[in-house]
Amino acid sequence: MQDTGKNIMIAGVGGQGILLFSNLLSKFYTKLGYELKISDVIGLGQRGGGVESHFRYSINPVLSPFIKAGDVDFLISFEQTETLRYLHCLKDDGVIFSSTFELSTSSVNTRIEQDMPESKTELIKNSKNKTFIVDPEKYKSSEFDISKMMNIVMLAFYAEYRGYSHDEMIQIVRESVPAKFVEGNIKAYMAGIQIAQSKIESKSLI
Amino acid sequence: MEIEDKVAVKKMMNGNEAVARGAFEAGLKVASGFPGTPSTEVMEYTQQKYPEIYCEWSTNEKVGLEVAIGASFAGYRSMAIMKTVGLHVAADALGGAAGSQINGGLVLVVGDDVGRTAGDDYNDVRHYGNMFNIPVLEPSDSQDAKDLMVKAFEISEEYSTPVILKITSVICKTTSAVVVDESLTYKVQCREKYPVSFSKVIMTTMMMNAKGSEHPKLTKCFHDFPAHMKRLAVDSNNFDINRLELKGTKIGVITSGTPYYYVKEVLPEASVLKLGLIMPLPEMLIRELAVHVDQLYVIEDGHDIMEKNIKDLGVSVVGKELFPKFPEMMRFTPDIIEEKLVAGAQVRKEMSGIPFRLPVSCAGCSHLFISQILKKHKIKAAADVTCGLIGCFPHMESYQLQKCMGSSIALAHGYNVATDHKENFVAMIGDGGFWATGINGLMNLIFNDSQSTTIIVDNSCLAMTGGQHIASSDFGFNYKPENKLEIAKICEAVGVKDIVTVDAYEYEHLEKAILNAVQAPTNSVVIVQKPCVTKFKLPKGNVHFIDQDLCTQCRKCINIGCLAIESKKGADGKVKIVINEDLCVGCGLCTTTCKFNAIKS
Repeated sequence: MQDTGKNIMIAGVGGQGILLFSNLLSKFYTKLGYELKISDVIGLGQRGGGVESHFRYSINPVLSPFIKAGDVDFLISFEQTETLRYLHCLKDDGVIFSSTFELSTSSVNTRIEQDMPESKTELIKNSKNKTFIVDPEKYKSSEFDISKMMNIVMLAFYAEYRGYSHDEMIQIVRESVPAKFVEGNIKAYMAGIQIAQSKIESKSLI
Repeated sequence: MEIEDKVAVKKMMNGNEAVARGAFEAGLKVASGFPGTPSTEVMEYTQQKYPEIYCEWSTNEKVGLEVAIGASFAGYRSMAIMKTVGLHVAADALGGAAGSQINGGLVLVVGDDVGRTAGDDYNDVRHYGNMFNIPVLEPSDSQDAKDLMVKAFEISEEYSTPVILKITSVICKTTSAVVVDESLTYKVQCREKYPVSFSKVIMTTMMMNAKGSEHPKLTKCFHDFPAHMKRLAVDSNNFDINRLELKGTKIGVITSGTPYYYVKEVLPEASVLKLGLIMPLPEMLIRELAVHVDQLYVIEDGHDIMEKNIKDLGVSVVGKELFPKFPEMMRFTPDIIEEKLVAGAQVRKEMSGIPFRLPVSCAGCSHLFISQILKKHKIKAAADVTCGLIGCFPHMESYQLQKCMGSSIALAHGYNVATDHKENFVAMIGDGGFWATGINGLMNLIFNDSQSTTIIVDNSCLAMTGGQHIASSDFGFNYKPENKLEIAKICEAVGVKDIVTVDAYEYEHLEKAILNAVQAPTNSVVIVQKPCVTKFKLPKGNVHFIDQDLCTQCRKCINIGCLAIESKKGADGKVKIVINEDLCVGCGLCTTTCKFNAIKS
C-alpha cells in the first residue's frame, strides 16, 4: 500500500542540527513527489532553548503547519527532556526515536526548579509507544565521536526503520553539507545504519 | 515548436524567503529596515539572492522606514522590514507617510512574534492599520506570502497608501512549496505620479480650508486619502485574495494567516472566508457568509482586531468569548479550535513536571563577565534589549531595570536624577542598542549634566538577531573601512569625560574599570570589547573542568549563568557540577568564582 503521508515531530535544543535534519528529509520526500510543510519553532535556540520542527508530508496538500497533539507518527528527538515534552503528541501507534543526551535546564541548574525525580530514559521507555533509544556515549570511540552528529545518525536510523534507500539519503547528504563535512557525515550515517540494524533486529530498546 | 515563456518550478521556501521573492518579482528597488525576529531573514534573502535590489540595515527602524519613504517618493518601489516592536520606533514615520501621496509602492514588511517564540511581547501590528487607516495584508503560507507581496505594491500605488504586510513567526519559519517562474527577469518599476508628498497635516489643511479653490498650487497638495480607502474597501469584495469558500451552513469562520489552515484541517465542512486583505474588511463577503451560516466565528491570532472591526459593521460574530486571548492563549493551534468546535475531541496534555528552559547566555559571552561583576559588587544597573538582558532572569539576577531597546542610558539617568546622584545607577547597553537609539540617551545625559556611568558592550554585531552588522561592525552590505564608526570616538565627541576600553576576558581590568567608572565624580563610559562568540566563532581556549574531589557544590560557578556549566545527576544518583566540554570555550570566568580552586583547565 502506498504511504499517503506522515507527521514527524523533530525535537531537541539549539545547536543540534535539527534544521539540517528536516532540510535533508524534505529533499528526500520532495524527490518522492510528496507535498510538504515544515514548521520550525525556534525560541532562544542558540542559547540553550528548545527547538521543535513539525514535519508533515502527504500525497495531498498539507494544511496546518502544526501537527495536532495526538497526530504524530514519529517523534525524533535529540535530547531526552525534549522527548518527554512531546510524548503526549504521539499517536497510539506512533514511534519514538530518542537520544539519551540531556542538556540540563538553567532553572534546575540554579535550583529555581526541581528536576524530575524519575529517570528520564525510563519515563520514555515506559511510554506505551514503540521506542528506540540511542545512547551516543555507548558508540563513542577515540577516533570517532558520533555524539556530535546525532542528527545524521538519527536520519540513518529513521531511514533504516522506514526501509528507505540509504544510497538516496547519502546522496542528499553529499549534496547538502559543505564539502569538508561530507566525509564525517557519511561516516556518521553508516554508524547510524549499524546502530539501527542492531536495535531493530534484536528488538532491543536500549 | 512552441516556446514556453514561463518556466514554472516548485521551490521550497519559508515565508521570509517567499516575501523576498515577491519583492523581487514586484521590481523592488530599495529595501531598508532593522533586524528583528522573526522577519530579519526577509532582508538577508533579498540581499543574498537579488543583487539588483539596494539593501541596507539602517541605524534603527524609524530611519529605515524614512529611507523607504524617500525612495518611494523618488518613484521606486521600496520596502521597510522590521518587527512590530520596531514599528513602535518607526510609528512617527509611518504616521507621516500614511494618507500621503505615494509614487513608487511603499510596503512595510512587519513581523509579529505570534506565540512569543522569541520572547517578544504580545504585540499586534494590525493596530497600526486601524490607527493610521492603512491596508494590512496577511499571508497563510509561503505561496501566499509571495503573491501578497506583489499585490501589496499594486495596492500601495493604486490606492496611494503605505501598505503593511503582516507576517508572523509561524509564516516566517514555515517552509512550503512556492511556484516560481525561473525565466522571470528583474524589471524595476518607476512611477512618478505626484510632484509633492506631504504629511497629512499639510494636506488636511488644504483639503478642509481651501475647498473651493482650483489653483494648482493648492490642488497639488490635495490628497483625498479617505476616499482612496473607501474605494479599496469596496473593491476588496472582488479581490481574489479574499476568498469565500461556501460549504456547510452550520459553522462559518472568518480567518486569515496560518489559522486559515488550522480551520481547514479541523473543520473541513465549515464555510470559510479567507482574508488576504484584513484591513479594510470586505463587508459584502462578510455579510454573505453571515447569512449562509447558523453561527459565525472569527479565528485570528494576536489581538481581537478583526473581531472588533466585524462587530463594528453590525455583524454578530463569536471570537474571544470562546477563545480567550493572552494570557490564556499565546496563539491558535488546530488543537484549540478542535477542542472548542468539534464534539468529542480528545484533549491531550503535556506530562507534568518537565523543567522549563530559561534562556541562557552562550558560553564565553562578554555579557556574562559584566553581569558577574555587577552582581559581585552589588552595583544596581539597567539592562537594555541585548543578549545581556538574560541577566534580568531569576537565575542570574544581575539587573534591576530593563525596558525597550536603547533605553538603558536614559533610564539610569532618570534614576540618578531622581535620587540626586547618591548612588550611581549604571546603564548597560549593547552596541546595537547604542546605535539604534541609545546614543540619544548618552547625548541627553551629557548636556543635562549627569554623572551616570554607561557600560557599552562592543561585540561587533547585532548579536541577538543572529549577528547583523551595525555602524561599528567590520563588515556589512555597504561596508567600507573608512565609514566605520568608532564607539569611543563618538562618546568623546558628544562630551563623555571618562572613557575606558577593556577586553572582556581581562577580568581584573574589567572589574577595576567598572568600579573606577562607578566611583568617578563625572560621567563615564566603559566600552567592553569581545566579538560575539556565536557570530564570529572565536577559537576555543583551554576547556575547563571541575575537579570533583575539590568541588564543595557551593554552586557559585553555576550561578554565573553559563550554558556550559551544568548540574548533572551521575549514574550513582549523586548530583555533580560539571563543565560541558563541547560548550566550554575556555574563557575562564568560572575560575574567578571558585574559592576552592576546583576549576582547572
